[in-house]
Amino acid sequence: MSSGQTVAVRSRDEVAEAIRTLTSAQFARLKAVSRYYSSGRPIEPEDLLQMAFASAIDGRQCPAHVDVVRFLAGAMRSIAHGEAEKVEHRLVLVPVPKTGEQQDRDFEFPDTRPNPEEQMISEENAAALRDATLRLFEDDRQARDIAEGTMADMSVEELRELTDLDQTGYDSKRRLIRRRIDKAFPKGWKP
Amino acid sequence: MTARKKSEREALDLLADVLVEDILTAADKDILAELKEDNIDPERLAADMRALFERSILVANKRRLLAAKAGVAASSPSTRAAATTIDIQDARRRLRAVLETKGVSQRLTLAARKESELSDADILNMVEDLQDLGLLPPDGGQDGKA
Repeated sequence: MSSGQTVAVRSRDEVAEAIRTLTSAQFARLKAVSRYYSSGRPIEPEDLLQMAFASAIDGRQCPAHVDVVRFLAGAMRSIAHGEAEKVEHRLVLVPVPKTGEQQDRDFEFPDTRPNPEEQMISEENAAALRDATLRLFEDDRQARDIAEGTMADMSVEELRELTDLDQTGYDSKRRLIRRRIDKAFPKGWKP
Repeated sequence: MTARKKSEREALDLLADVLVEDILTAADKDILAELKEDNIDPERLAADMRALFERSILVANKRRLLAAKAGVAASSPSTRAAATTIDIQDARRRLRAVLETKGVSQRLTLAARKESELSDADILNMVEDLQDLGLLPPDGGQDGKA
């Protein structure tokens, strides 16, 4: 909590308790978020989720008024966008032993910040993923326009005008887009 | 369609943000219906996610303990190899010893005093905190052994 601010933050135990008591629907949302933010990146959805969990209880401060699921989604976004190199988000993973067992290996999460060569490959992968995503909507011009327009940072108003959809129709198309992506990439898209 | 120049990665990130926002604002009943459509058992999913979370706690605690030990090793002539295991029983023993020390127990919260009810993850966390407070010497000078 920054000095001068009076925003209450959840304690470590409160965050842990909040996560432990999430509903199935909330966990399903988190799992989906991990897929979306890990797609096209050299990180598995489960690893991204684990990093977010770990940062939530040991690093990031969760304001008391912020929904924990949204907080974790934000954490995954930040981590996926390249903040993994920051010390507070890096994890040294070791196999968690049963009491008394010895383990002789440990490993680190990959650094998600790309070097120049990796950046080029990342762009190529992103382009391939973009094409693969848009191909999902070859039979639905409106859905394709919304997906493509979203990637071009068009506003909702612009997209509704483009597709001649009312808000309900637009929302339905958005859901259709998400579900087709879910079914096409059930474990996230990997190059 | 007006297209603004963005990198491919940025474009995908914009779509990901929209997908995320949609899933976060979807009604629970819609989420559960989608799980059913995908032949996913909601209870099993929740159990798996909780297990992942508990592993995350242990990993985070392990990291903190290793960092604490690395900090101690940096100023200590100890020749021990970097620890890759944690003796939970020893940690519990050391914690009990601290809690039973006169005057210390009153300074801790009620939750902290009920050592027998704490999980291994909580034990590791508390050992770390007490070391930071100077109430518990690092590893108790016991080389991790009981």
